[in-house]
Amino acid sequence: MPLNKIDKLLEHDVSWLLDSGPDGDIAISSRIRLARNIQSLPFPIAATAGQLEQIQTAAELALKKSKVIGKEYLDIHMSDYSELDRQILLERRLISSEFVEKKEHTSLFVKQDESCAIMINEEDHIRIQALCPGLQLFKVWEQINKLDLELEKSLPYAYDSQLGYLTSCPTNVGTGMRASVMLHLPGLVLSERINAAIQGVSKLGLAVRGIFGEGTDNRGNLFQVSNQSTLGESETHIIDRLSTVITQLVMHEKNCRLSLLKNKKHFLLDHIGRSYGLLRHAYTLSSEEALNSLSDIRIGVDMGMFNSIDLHTVNKLFMTINPAHLQKFAQKELNSQERDIFRAAFVRKQLKNAKHSQGE
Amino acid sequence: MLCDICNKHEATIHIQEVINSKKKAMHLCSECAVKKSQNDPSFDFGGFNLAEMLYNISESQSGFPGLSPISENETLDESKETEYLKCGNCQWTLKTLRRTGRVGCPECYNVFREAIDNALENMHRGKLHVGKKPGSKSTDKSSNFMLKLMKLQKKLDELVQREEYEKAAEIRDKINSLKKKINAPKAKKKNASK
Repeated sequence: MPLNKIDKLLEHDVSWLLDSGPDGDIAISSRIRLARNIQSLPFPIAATAGQLEQIQTAAELALKKSKVIGKEYLDIHMSDYSELDRQILLERRLISSEFVEKKEHTSLFVKQDESCAIMINEEDHIRIQALCPGLQLFKVWEQINKLDLELEKSLPYAYDSQLGYLTSCPTNVGTGMRASVMLHLPGLVLSERINAAIQGVSKLGLAVRGIFGEGTDNRGNLFQVSNQSTLGESETHIIDRLSTVITQLVMHEKNCRLSLLKNKKHFLLDHIGRSYGLLRHAYTLSSEEALNSLSDIRIGVDMGMFNSIDLHTVNKLFMTINPAHLQKFAQKELNSQERDIFRAAFVRKQLKNAKHSQGE
Repeated sequence: MLCDICNKHEATIHIQEVINSKKKAMHLCSECAVKKSQNDPSFDFGGFNLAEMLYNISESQSGFPGLSPISENETLDESKETEYLKCGNCQWTLKTLRRTGRVGCPECYNVFREAIDNALENMHRGKLHVGKKPGSKSTDKSSNFMLKLMKLQKKLDELVQREEYEKAAEIRDKINSLKKKINAPKAKKKNASK
């Protein structure tokens, strides 16, 4: 059996989950993805198997030749991996849910520290993504732009002087760029201001969604804010607009946390303390319960309630308590009930290892 | 316009195929179109089944904001001229475009330009690409501008937090003049395109 490259990913820390980024207490990570296609070949949705193979070969060759993602990368042919392995990639935000189902002639190139990943034959021929911890979209843009410039030397991109980069879905045409920031907004949720904030942001032509699903699903109080329009504005203009709005949201969140601490201190401390108790002592833990309790712990960490749990530990748990990761750790398939038991044990162990000591 | 086949009824179905930018057109009344598509195997537009299109079009769910699917009433409304297009390069049809919300190849943007243009207006903030293009490094300059801007913004936030408002005002002015510089060339471009 060939070496499982996906197992190798699990041995390393995910660089964008580190707590070193600017405004990292609220902005977990910044992400940009670019959609690119090769001239005169049909988009994957209309391509024949032969054409898909042609696209895959050309893109892989260009990626290897240009060395854009450095030496420490993994190239993964999706058809070589099980459903569970593909789910792991989804939970690590390296691929889309659409890509999990697409096995034929699809590949993923990923940098070992997971700061950069490239999907071949997803909705577009090439989808490049780059991620950094915290709120720093310009740094991400610099990185991904460099990579794009390098790649275009060996791949003739489909481009139109009026419509920009041509993409399979007209919602991406133009820059082909979607920039997004993952935000942890428990303060806005607890003070019931989140809906007003979401509406405000939507009016500015930006999209807000829960991280784990569409619409109003806000498990873990994690939200993603991204640009919707890709045509008529330059990349830097979009990023500037998005960053300005997100800086405002971060400020609102900070204010909400401060006012909760000032006016409802016991309510807030009790809320966090109970969640900590639950995570440290529960023997079954659903995914929703875990995410929401982790969200509470995360504010506690930010407020200095827990001396030895850091944001990185909590950020990592947001990812590793998901079904595919748990089954990978357990080294066997688990049904939903078994997962809840395993999840509780896993979280207890992780928090115990963090050698907790609860401050005043 | 009369039907190309019966020459009696008004043509309400207009089929246009585009191959290598050359247009081939056919004008039929709905009766002849259905007959032809059911009986004549040579009436083959690359899997483009006209009968299916005439009867099932209302099933197509629009995955394409701003481009609503054709309703049943519309297809039966013979007075309304509806044009069905197909891309000669990848065989994509307007119907598939409406159903999936995706186009099949770069050439589709020319073939379905009219339909896409309307939708683009609803989706985006502009109709003209103003960002980077292949083979140019023009964005590097503005990206440097932006980095400078970010640093100044950060400084401004710190100063406001420390309540050093005079210094903050200086930084704010710097930011505003920098923003003007960034937006100036774009404003010119917009005017020129009008």
